[in-house]
Amino acid sequence: MTTPSQMFTGPELEIFAAAEAAATLIAPAFPLAATVAVNPFLGQAGQGRAQTAALMARVAGVRIFRDRADYAAALAAGRIDRSVLQAAAQARGLRLADVEAALTRPAPAPEALPTVADLAAATTGTRLAELVEDRIGTWAAAHFDEGQALWPAPGGSAYGSWKAFATRDLLPGIAGLPGVCSRVAGLPQDARAAFAEACRVLGVTPWSARVYFQRLLMGLQGWGQYARHIDWLAARDGGRDTVLFELLVIRLVWDMLLLEAHRDALGKSWEGALVRFAAPVAAGPEELIDETLQEALERSEEAALLARLVARAAPATEDAPALQAAFCIDVRSEVFRRALEGADTGIRTIGFAGFFGLAAAHRGHASDVVEARGPVLLKPAVATEARGWADDDQAGRIGARAKRAWGRFRMASVSAFAFVEAAGPLYAGKLLKDTLAGAKPVVQEPAPVADLPQAAQVDAAAAILGAMSLTKGFARLVLIAGHGAGVTNAPHASALQCGACGGHAGDVNARLLAGLLNDGAVRAGLLEKGIAIPAQTRFIAGLHDTVSDHVTLFADAPLPDHAEDLARLERALARAGVVARTERAAHLPRAGKPEDLARRGGDWSELRPEWGLAGCAAFVAAPRAHTAGVDLGGRAFLHDYDWQADRGFGVLELILTAPVVVASWISLQYYGSSVAPEAFGAGNKLLHNVTGGIGVIEGNGGMLRAGLPWQSVHDGVALRHDPLRLTVMVEAPCEAIMAILERHAGVKALFDNGWLALMATDAAQGTVRRYEAGTRSLLPGGAGLPKAA
Amino acid sequence: MTYLPYLGPLALALVALDLMWRPVGRAGARLRLPEAAALVAILAACGAAVMLAVQGVSSAALPGPLGQAFAVRIDIVSVAMLGTVSFVGWIVLRYARTALDGEAGQSGFMATMTATLAAVLLLVSAGNLVQLVLAWAMVGVGLHRLILFYPERPRAQRAARKKTVSGIAGTGALVLAAGLLIHGFGTADIGAIAVAVAGGEVPGTLWLAALLLAVAAVFKSALIPTHGWLTEVMEAPTPVSALLHAGVVNAGGFLLIRFADVLLAAPGVLALLALVGGFSALVGAAVALTQPSVKTALAWSTCAQMGFMVLQIGLALFPLALLHIVAHSLYKAHAFLASGGAVEQVAQIRRPGPVAVPDLRAVARAFGLALVIYAVVGLMFGIMDKPPQTVALGAILIFGVAYLIAQGLADLAPWPLTVRTVAMSGAATVGYFTLQTGITALAAGTLPLPPAPDGLIWATLVLALVSFGLASVAQATFPLWAGHPAAMGLRVHLMNGLYLNALTDRMIGQWRASKG
Repeated sequence: MTTPSQMFTGPELEIFAAAEAAATLIAPAFPLAATVAVNPFLGQAGQGRAQTAALMARVAGVRIFRDRADYAAALAAGRIDRSVLQAAAQARGLRLADVEAALTRPAPAPEALPTVADLAAATTGTRLAELVEDRIGTWAAAHFDEGQALWPAPGGSAYGSWKAFATRDLLPGIAGLPGVCSRVAGLPQDARAAFAEACRVLGVTPWSARVYFQRLLMGLQGWGQYARHIDWLAARDGGRDTVLFELLVIRLVWDMLLLEAHRDALGKSWEGALVRFAAPVAAGPEELIDETLQEALERSEEAALLARLVARAAPATEDAPALQAAFCIDVRSEVFRRALEGADTGIRTIGFAGFFGLAAAHRGHASDVVEARGPVLLKPAVATEARGWADDDQAGRIGARAKRAWGRFRMASVSAFAFVEAAGPLYAGKLLKDTLAGAKPVVQEPAPVADLPQAAQVDAAAAILGAMSLTKGFARLVLIAGHGAGVTNAPHASALQCGACGGHAGDVNARLLAGLLNDGAVRAGLLEKGIAIPAQTRFIAGLHDTVSDHVTLFADAPLPDHAEDLARLERALARAGVVARTERAAHLPRAGKPEDLARRGGDWSELRPEWGLAGCAAFVAAPRAHTAGVDLGGRAFLHDYDWQADRGFGVLELILTAPVVVASWISLQYYGSSVAPEAFGAGNKLLHNVTGGIGVIEGNGGMLRAGLPWQSVHDGVALRHDPLRLTVMVEAPCEAIMAILERHAGVKALFDNGWLALMATDAAQGTVRRYEAGTRSLLPGGAGLPKAA
Repeated sequence: MTYLPYLGPLALALVALDLMWRPVGRAGARLRLPEAAALVAILAACGAAVMLAVQGVSSAALPGPLGQAFAVRIDIVSVAMLGTVSFVGWIVLRYARTALDGEAGQSGFMATMTATLAAVLLLVSAGNLVQLVLAWAMVGVGLHRLILFYPERPRAQRAARKKTVSGIAGTGALVLAAGLLIHGFGTADIGAIAVAVAGGEVPGTLWLAALLLAVAAVFKSALIPTHGWLTEVMEAPTPVSALLHAGVVNAGGFLLIRFADVLLAAPGVLALLALVGGFSALVGAAVALTQPSVKTALAWSTCAQMGFMVLQIGLALFPLALLHIVAHSLYKAHAFLASGGAVEQVAQIRRPGPVAVPDLRAVARAFGLALVIYAVVGLMFGIMDKPPQTVALGAILIFGVAYLIAQGLADLAPWPLTVRTVAMSGAATVGYFTLQTGITALAAGTLPLPPAPDGLIWATLVLALVSFGLASVAQATFPLWAGHPAAMGLRVHLMNGLYLNALTDRMIGQWRASKG
């Protein structure tokens, strides 16, 4: 989309810039086939939470803090330390008495600034805002459909496809808005020209543009976010796409149509609205009070976390472990790792991002589809494939295609009748089978093979082992365990999978790494780089099912001399499974006996098979010895890191810029879906209507809903996810941490603006320093750590 | 013993009352009671089936004055419906116990759903018009409450309002029809009415009664253009959709089958039903093709399937209509309950690469092959002795099978895929004929045979064959023309359900804010 800039005036170009800026403020939403958590406040990282609250009230009509009553209860229960509250109030220039007084009254309800559609609806008594939403939603669902409708919508650019749709869509006329088709037909073919025309008619000024555009984009909800994900991926891979801009144009055109239709009645009120859009957004006293309360709660919780770490048991012994087991940093691993270490004291566990350093573009068995099995922040670097025997692959394809042909037979127009008469009664059996289903079995694909030259394999292996802080002290058997959730009938299943693996289960990446490290040639290359893996050390891949806490082991390579080690590992995994299930069952509704947890995954009516990452509150980058034995309640990301082995602090830089950022996206997604479910949550699972194979709408219409469903964060009585910001604790020298933050302004902004908290621990000295946004430095904290043994 | 069918509704009603009076807390043990009552209903249905097998058709009125209004009838129609509805009901109640866990209104929801199920069972086992009408109305009330499980949702309010309008119209027509029948025949006993009609005793108002029954059925089964509420019921939790699409919408078809003899005496009404049903089938199916949301597509498909079932009734193929109701119930209940799998299903569709598009030659060969399969399998099942209505309907279904074969005949399709699709087509055809022969045998003596075709029936048959034939050719050659610009407008209009619902919305002021 390159239109010569001389076609547009200076103010118009400013308005274009405002549109681009507004588009970058929208958080991307990935399709549900492989979704990953995204920070819904991604665009607001550069400003504080109080100011974001003021903005979100205007552009989305939502509150981004908890209810005041929650804070009042937390203060009464002692969860908020009064002195911490006093300090937080002081830092914002508030009086403690004013903050406490605010606890007794509900916060003022936020009200979004009105669009033309809102004003027109109020004036005419016709639900025009809903009509606009309905029409855009109907078009977008068809345009972005990945294969639900047998008759696909014509492709093309978003704006072009919408224009073709809207010039034929007779519904607005029937609903009481005549002339839409012909007006749309008369619009320019080019989205930028249409944008300029709409802005002219609407009288958008460079001052009002940005907030007004953001208001419109937030109104598109999931569709805007889905469009943004397309642009975002294009930008990540060095390209450019303008889908979200085109959606903005579409929405603007609707406001233009409504203003033209009701100019006499709306002219004045719309001018007034534009003035309000142009007003600078600043945090008011109410937002500052909310921020104070939230901050005080979080700081009080930080203190509780530190106290827990202080009260930890004695660190594990320093002998070479009998077995090692690497897990994803996912908070769900914490429970299982603790149980596994308890089950066999000879086992040492390691935490690392679950894609194990290999961002793979993976083709599954009998599949043409390339899945990105790595963090979405990275462009997949390694092409991999589940390569069985060739005829096996072919047979799999024929089976899949025959199944698909049968599915099309079921869905197509005339054949659907034949299908019902011929095969309908068979569904009695299917109903019975699904209603009585047990646990969901793990699907075993052929072992993945990476298409990577020898030298690159060695480099990758060296880098990964370094990043894992695993370059010496190898045990005889090392488990590399990815994780996945065996759930069924769940549109949001991918939200329970491994985020580091791009919303897929982690088996492929774990098997890739195990294969790589078992390779003799790779080991020889590693030896040259100073990493000596003993000949008797073997790596074995596994998949930790987070629903059942069962670990499936993959026998990809022979283990001739390790029968005993393997048996010991299996025994420990089985015992750990029992312990972990028992711990988790206590928090799941209707869990019954711990061994029943597996069945939840196969139950098609279960809306809460497991809790995912709900409750996540901390990120710890330190040697496992510093946290071993401490019950962190499945709320902490645990990343192994040994700063003494990290020359130049390259690994630390990686941790702070990748896993920490991913963890912040997860934590803030849960936060947003908990405090403002209407804007940042996916709604009620009971009403989910899967759309286009990519997302859900609630009920029979409206916008796509991104974020987490209500049942994923709420247990029916109370929030399961405690909306707190993530506390990042790093065992590393302060200077090294500060130097890295100075180099990465985007990461630093998260700490400066209160989206994350940062602490540097020094186990040797038993000290903790806390990063204070006010002074932009790490200051000594109150609580101390015990000295490492 | 003939009272056996009352056992299910009785158990369900008791459980529903218990849950209403003593709401049960979260995950309470009593939440399992509805399932248990549904199991009782299943057992009772099995018992009724045994009785039917042993002693044939029977009916019994309740003793005393209640007998004037309440009676059960055990025949293939009631047994098939009792079995299907109680089985689907059990599945749905079981599903709802887990899925609605944590909802504040779960106890009331389970109570309403259990009561609605009881009413459906009373309806399908009714041997008396009064019981039938009362149960029909109760089903409507129960459904209304279920649709409004989230009363604060504006879209739910609108769907419920449309359902109410539709329900009043349908129930009104049924009440009038029942009044005419009772007046005309001097009895409310359904069996007696059937015997009288079959014996040629026809009151002058019978055609009007038949027409009113047809109107009631069209509203209840949500045929176009009364479908508006059906395609919006996703505003209620998934189990409601499952129960509705698998249990409640069938009531219209059931009503027509129940009064098969009355309808046979009104050939004009049958032709009208064939027309309305066929239209719903074709339009509903075409609209379903364009829907990108899984539940919406399923709802339009129900509208189409109900239309097809009513077309079968219009052709006087009552046993086949009954088979269609049972088969569709089972399929659609599963499809709704499993609709959360749509993300995975769409992903699976994409995995084996693009769909091979059959060209015109392949489509022609597919139709040829389908006709051969039809002839071969048909001859095995003695198609030569069947009435033309049955043969024509079989041909329509074979048009559908041709689509399956065509996918395997595309130039790009590998040979083993061709073999598989042809084998699946053969299996589907055998399955169809087996079921058809079975239900026809089971219904012999209970449901009337189609009459020898006269001019009107031939016209209906030809119209049905031509329109479904054209639709199936369009469907098989679909990828060849769907991308054409002229098809784009059609697609937009179909996606909007041909605006029928929008026009209804406008008529009843759905877009006015004051009412929302």
